[in-house]
Amino acid sequence: MIEFKDVSTIYDDSFTALDGINLEIKDGEFVCLVGPSGAGKSTLLKLMTRELHPSSGDVVIDGVNIADLSSAEVPLLRRKIGTIFQDFKLLSKKNAFENVAFALEVCGADPEEISENVPKVLSIVGLSEKIANFPHQMSGGERQRLAIARALIHRPHIILADEPTGNLDLVNSYDVVKLLMKINEFGTTVILATHNREIVNAVGKRVISMERGKIVRDQIEQGKYII
Amino acid sequence: MKKTFKRIFQAGWTNFKRNSYISFGTTGVMTLVLLLFTGLIVISYVSDHVISDLKDKVDVTAYFKQEASEDQIMSVKEDLAGQPEVAAVTYVSRDDALNEFKARHAGDALIQESLAELSDNPLQASLNIKANDSSQYATIVNFLEGNDFRPIVDKINFYENEAVIGRVESISNGVRNWGLLGVLILSAIAVLVTFNTIRLTIYNQRQEIEIMRLVGGSTWHIKAPFLIEGGLYGIFAAILATVIFYPTLWFASSKAAALIPDVNLMGYFLANAGEFVGIIAAAGVALGVVSSFIAIRRFLKV
Repeated sequence: MIEFKDVSTIYDDSFTALDGINLEIKDGEFVCLVGPSGAGKSTLLKLMTRELHPSSGDVVIDGVNIADLSSAEVPLLRRKIGTIFQDFKLLSKKNAFENVAFALEVCGADPEEISENVPKVLSIVGLSEKIANFPHQMSGGERQRLAIARALIHRPHIILADEPTGNLDLVNSYDVVKLLMKINEFGTTVILATHNREIVNAVGKRVISMERGKIVRDQIEQGKYII
Repeated sequence: MKKTFKRIFQAGWTNFKRNSYISFGTTGVMTLVLLLFTGLIVISYVSDHVISDLKDKVDVTAYFKQEASEDQIMSVKEDLAGQPEVAAVTYVSRDDALNEFKARHAGDALIQESLAELSDNPLQASLNIKANDSSQYATIVNFLEGNDFRPIVDKINFYENEAVIGRVESISNGVRNWGLLGVLILSAIAVLVTFNTIRLTIYNQRQEIEIMRLVGGSTWHIKAPFLIEGGLYGIFAAILATVIFYPTLWFASSKAAALIPDVNLMGYFLANAGEFVGIIAAAGVALGVVSSFIAIRRFLKV
């Protein structure tokens, strides 16, 4: 369960990115977070990984107020959350296997565990054939699937996807969203921030609309992209 | 634990190899910095040596009147030896002084003949005094001036040497103080140059660090390979600096021997090679690791 309790975020004492957000997301939900650029979608996601601190209010994940975590506990929180970005954030000097393995290595995983789990997760996202390819040898869709594989490697409870289809064509965008829905079917909470109308309407799940740092609409079921 | 260390070393080594151009540049800059340190060590060794040589050459001699008895002179000698400033007192009797004079002018027939014609030994007995430090001669001479046996002392050559002693003293102090200041300033510049070079190297890998943070890498798992990488720059720079230093020293040593024959640069630095290389390597590793430690901090704030 993810809870936002009266959360506000103000940048440089002047720009209000989030304004009194109250929100509950249950385990296993698929949530589309929609709104124009600057609505506060990315800020909301960054608060969950503690890349940002709220100016006021509390963000609570699985009963833990994440403001209370020590800096040593933050990495443990981030291992519970898989993050996917619009610009993929892959390492250009590492191949597909190494890009995923690296997420395990920095957490101190055993080499045996790495060599067993990485091919498995690459096969889930359909990249078994590309295991030795470098990001520049892959298409945009493949790169995003590789980023999803990296996000999945810790078997996270929550996946945060920040405009994951922003750099992709429609076909690849649908592939990525289908993959996210498949992950959601296994019980992982997925929060998809996007302003892609077709994708949101095709998913047909909960849709939270944001504007100027506020939630203006929350359609719990069969939500549509409405601005 | 063993696995963790192995991974950290491997990751540091891989980083070092994969960023070969950057590693080469950083190691080059650190080599220059370490060569600057070795230069400072050599200069400090040479100036210490020259100053201590000069100080050794400075002494004060008290000449006694002809009528002074050996007992009286020995009594003055004992008084002097009891002074804390005095390092050594050597008694030269009239006979010793004559024998030495004769020996020194053995080839000069005119002097030998003149001496033979004299019925009595014209030379004076003397006490040659060395102080622990050249600044203490004035105190010693004051003590002699106030001694009970002052009337039997004919002259003290301090007054002739005073200017030379003062000059040696001021050169020595100048070299010590300005040298220390110079070393401090140059060291600070060297540390800043190394720090900034490593900071640029880490800046190049900032995206990698950010991603490590976002996928849940703990601070030490991210930081440690960079510290190893910094240490590797230091080790390679120390090896390069040593390889450049010894042949350069060999070349400089023969030139320096012509100017200051007492100083054997090559001999000294070869005899202490283990310690010297150890210091250079330790300085290199410390510079690399500390610079990396400080430089990576701001990139870990994600």
